[in-house]
Amino acid sequence: MPSVGKPLPHDSAVGHVTGSAQYVDDLPRREGELHIDFVGAPITSGCVRSIDLTVARAVPGVVCLLTHNDLSGPNHFGPILSDEPFLVEGEISYLGQPIVVIGAESAAAAKQACQLVQLECEERVAVLTIDEALQAESFIGPKQRMTSPAAEDDDAFASALRDAPHTLSGRFYSNGQEQFYFETQAALAEPGEAKTIKIISSTQNPTEAQAVVAEALGLGLHQVVCECPRMGGGFGGKETQSSLTAVMAAMVAQHTGRPARLVLDRGVDMRITGKRHAYQTDYHIAFDRQGRLLAAQFDYYSNGGAFADLSTSIMDRTLFHAENAYHIPRLRLTGQVCRTNLPPNTAFRGFGGPQAIAVIESCLQEIAQVVGRDAFDVRRLNLYRDGDPQQSVTQYGQIVRDHMLEEIFDQLADSSDYRQRMAAVDEFNRTSPTQVKGIAISAVKFGIAFTTKFLNQANALVNVYTDGTVQVSTGGTEMGQGLNTKIRQLVADEFGLAPECVRMMTTSTEKNHNTSPTAASAGTDLNGAAALHACRQIIDRMKQYAADLFSADIKDIRLEEGFVFDQRHSSHRHAFGEFCAMARRERVDLGARGFFITPGIDYNPDTGRGSPFFYFTTGAAVAEVTIDRFTGELQCDRADLLMDVGRMINPGVDRGQVIGGFIQGVGWVTDEQLRYDDTGQLLSTGPTTYKIPNITDLPRTLNINFIDNPKHQINIRQSKAVGEPPLMLGLAVWLAARHAVSSVANGQRFDLAIPATSEELLMTLTKIST
Amino acid sequence: MRDHLVFYVNGTRHTVRGSQAAVTLSDYLRNGITPRLPGTKVACAEGDCGACTVLVGKPSADGNGFEYQTIDACIAFVYQLDCCHLLTVEGLQHDTELSDVQAAMVDCHGSQCGYCTPGFVMALHGLVEQRTCDNKLTDDELRLGLSGNLCRCTGYAQILDAGHELNPSTRVGAASHFDTKAMLADFAAIDAGPVLVNAGSTPEVFLPATLEELLARRAARPSATLVAGATDLGVQHNHGKISPSDILVTMGVKELDQLEVTDNELIIGAAVSWSRIEAYVRDRVPEYYQILTRFGSPQVRHAGTLIGNLANASPIADSIPFHYVAGSTLTLASVGGRREVAIEQFYLGYKQLDLRPDEVIVSVRTPLPTANEHLKLYKISKRRDMDISTVTAAFWLEIEEGIIRSARIASGGVGPMVVRLPRAEVLLSGEPLTLEVMRAAGCVAREEISPISDVRGSANYRRQLVENLFVKCFYDLSSNLQPVEV
Repeated sequence: MPSVGKPLPHDSAVGHVTGSAQYVDDLPRREGELHIDFVGAPITSGCVRSIDLTVARAVPGVVCLLTHNDLSGPNHFGPILSDEPFLVEGEISYLGQPIVVIGAESAAAAKQACQLVQLECEERVAVLTIDEALQAESFIGPKQRMTSPAAEDDDAFASALRDAPHTLSGRFYSNGQEQFYFETQAALAEPGEAKTIKIISSTQNPTEAQAVVAEALGLGLHQVVCECPRMGGGFGGKETQSSLTAVMAAMVAQHTGRPARLVLDRGVDMRITGKRHAYQTDYHIAFDRQGRLLAAQFDYYSNGGAFADLSTSIMDRTLFHAENAYHIPRLRLTGQVCRTNLPPNTAFRGFGGPQAIAVIESCLQEIAQVVGRDAFDVRRLNLYRDGDPQQSVTQYGQIVRDHMLEEIFDQLADSSDYRQRMAAVDEFNRTSPTQVKGIAISAVKFGIAFTTKFLNQANALVNVYTDGTVQVSTGGTEMGQGLNTKIRQLVADEFGLAPECVRMMTTSTEKNHNTSPTAASAGTDLNGAAALHACRQIIDRMKQYAADLFSADIKDIRLEEGFVFDQRHSSHRHAFGEFCAMARRERVDLGARGFFITPGIDYNPDTGRGSPFFYFTTGAAVAEVTIDRFTGELQCDRADLLMDVGRMINPGVDRGQVIGGFIQGVGWVTDEQLRYDDTGQLLSTGPTTYKIPNITDLPRTLNINFIDNPKHQINIRQSKAVGEPPLMLGLAVWLAARHAVSSVANGQRFDLAIPATSEELLMTLTKIST
Repeated sequence: MRDHLVFYVNGTRHTVRGSQAAVTLSDYLRNGITPRLPGTKVACAEGDCGACTVLVGKPSADGNGFEYQTIDACIAFVYQLDCCHLLTVEGLQHDTELSDVQAAMVDCHGSQCGYCTPGFVMALHGLVEQRTCDNKLTDDELRLGLSGNLCRCTGYAQILDAGHELNPSTRVGAASHFDTKAMLADFAAIDAGPVLVNAGSTPEVFLPATLEELLARRAARPSATLVAGATDLGVQHNHGKISPSDILVTMGVKELDQLEVTDNELIIGAAVSWSRIEAYVRDRVPEYYQILTRFGSPQVRHAGTLIGNLANASPIADSIPFHYVAGSTLTLASVGGRREVAIEQFYLGYKQLDLRPDEVIVSVRTPLPTANEHLKLYKISKRRDMDISTVTAAFWLEIEEGIIRSARIASGGVGPMVVRLPRAEVLLSGEPLTLEVMRAAGCVAREEISPISDVRGSANYRRQLVENLFVKCFYDLSSNLQPVEV
């Protein structure tokens, strides 16, 4: 029985529920293992004049104190610009930036030594916000630009904006978001023979951890192995930023010859690691009396923090998603990453997409008000239209094809009773003195592929054993998203085996090298395809051997239901394991390495034209909220989601990704608020003060549905990536809140930021009603 | 006197001596024993995510078994476990069979990354363990019951699905595969108390069994930390905000166990946990009950106490405004005798109490509203559940024929202490209960508070909330009363 399409439980589910699934801090203590702590910068901006370690060194149990001088390699790293020091070398760029790494026999000794390290620092004025960065012209990378062909002519574009029946201009703010992976950044480093180092890291990017550790330690890549058994959540936060923890652990291991482990405290993790970028966007948008979009200009500014990290790539994705699911004939976009004295901001599910989509969706909500139409209809009017050459080309020239956006809208309008509920909301708002309701739809069209072309590759190793069991190793990492579960199903089906016969192995750079991070929602697309490529090589050899054995035509050999057989002679069959044992004796190679590159990706960053994406994952959501007029407290009463994720490899896993992503998006736009003081110190440093959604915030009615899309014939088993896209549907809740506030605004314009906390909502309601 | 703690973990007897008695329970499980039990995860170390949830079984009143309740192991201490049976996620499987909760979580895709999963599994077990009827858990029960556990991956829906799968009528107890009778017999055979662990070193941990022992020790060790549920102490400990001090545990003292209504006064002893109060006031003081369901989390309410909350004296303590407007009285005791102090006189300034170093709080006595007295309590927080208040407020209005005869109003989160709002109270007295009157009082109230801006909200927001809560209170009361329309 094929298992693809079935909701098999998560690969590690039994381990999860019994507590036997191990994370870095759960792994047995190694003999002689050292505890690690570090001293971070006590100021936000400035430099270190001197570091005095003598007192700290005298603490009993302290084994090593390391600074940048103790790095064997260069003191800089970074996935794009390599501008970030491992350890402070003079310049301090953000509060808490690691300066001294301490290895000790106990956590207490390490902590005590930390407190005794004496630093002399010189403080400079810090740049914290986008506005301050603009003032100081403090930027990372050049201003990025993207212009649709019809907007290239300055005069024509200016007149399109000027002469339109309506225009809206303004500034839109969206705040950052903490990944809040449950397992904090963690790494265990074990020194081996001949100067080798093995790193067990909670990372989405073992290849990068391997490379960064090798560079910092002055080793060859062949001397470093990085493993990741699993992560307790990643969400992008462990795509690049797991490296620093790994390097600190590796430094201690290299200098002491002893194993060393570093697991960040929650508060430290939240203070020193990067988050989703806060954005500030200036928008000018022109539309006709029906609300049809005519032209728009969006100038995005992101708060990149102190170093480049992935910020420029994240800004790329912002520009690619400026229009979301809507066709804008003339579009001019600029994006500038601002350099500030915050920890470098980084990847977080959506990767710049949510910040762009928030702006256009907010504009559409307001446009509907201006033209006096239902926002649903305005959105529906502007959707990309499959097969219509006038309404299917993006600003970068890729054709949006084989999608179901209009069908999704129509089906969702029906299934969510949108029209009737809109009327009921209006009626409620006319009569209720205590609460105000809102309802809104939002869409997502998310491009699938790394926009950095070379990352769209993967390799996999498949070993078939003589008892008919199979081990699969890929460069993909499991962070809860179900990658291993899906690949297990794909491989099992390929061999005609039960999924129990297939085991997914720990991700290790020893088995899979030069891999891409597990990111961009493409984990299964890439690693699943690479695994199948390996399977097919083995199957070809097995079939050849079977054809010889059965004296059959290779076309008639089947691998199904745990058997290898000649479909024309029912007696010509062997159990899979028995067959494998025979094959080995005949010296048939039962292992293979598979390789995959995503086809059809072709984008030229110099011209801003081409097809950066393999395909698009799409969907829409309708959300209804109730807001207390006296407290601003928001409750999401109901949400209906409808997505096109192709043919699902595992509907249970995909449903989990959709709900989980959606709720994470709801968190971003409602309660999750990063607060800093004037010195750049983060105040919301744990779940006590940083409020991710609780189970009681789950909408009372939550309908998750999937639409069948027969037009989608590409990608592995006609599936689609699902990790990031549903996060952006969380915006429906924010838009519903905006709709609710607009119902008491009497046509006044008002701004509403992300997140729309109770405070933001109450103060906005108060402002517009006085 | 016994010099060690005795308890069981997943059926295995543990004896703890020395300073290990004062480490956190999660640290003990994960790092303090061999073999380690790392299934209990620590994701926040401040009792705000529930990943470390474990079940603590205390001998039941009838002596026939244990009653299991969830607590957060990261903010509990080993000394709280004396004579208990602790169940962790490693102890749930019967032979190699998954428990019903575990199986439902697997089948319903209740886990993704898995890090919060042991906590949810334990919390679900706690819910069904405490169930007194055979009905399936309702959506409300599941949501409130799991509100002490956060998950970042699943969006919760599939965890709810797992909860709905559970069938209390056919299930077996989580501890049924252990010989609990033998454990109870063991506990009965050992010296009941008092217990003094780590004598002569820091911290000394003393577990008195009687009030007399508690007061004597309090007099002898005035600098010792009084501990009830430790739900705040554990957080302070993990954040490195307290230096080690001797420990004096109140929870085993029989005389502090009072929970009753006498002469329309609710009396709550110092060792009564929030969850017991919650159950007790559910029908007796529904308004108080509503606030209690949002106090901390289920895990915190199983461990923490009202008296601990009052003594902790936070200006945003959820309980204090109610006790202000109700006019509660605290009974304090020392070796020298007892005295009573009105709650408003008990607070002298920010975290300053009228409590002598040799005194302890025995109980609090609270008059309950009579027919004409109307109570409304508000807690405003960024997130509805498991959040610390931004602003709290309590209204106690005596209303006769639409006229407010007297008003007592208190608010928290608006200054260094919970405060009454006397100018607003005066304005309301003698006035009809109308929207205009309440609105005017709100405008006065916002000027008699001195809130600050902090991580939970700005000063302006807090002022606006206090003003608005008067209007909200009007509408809430109007739905029960016949207000005088204007």
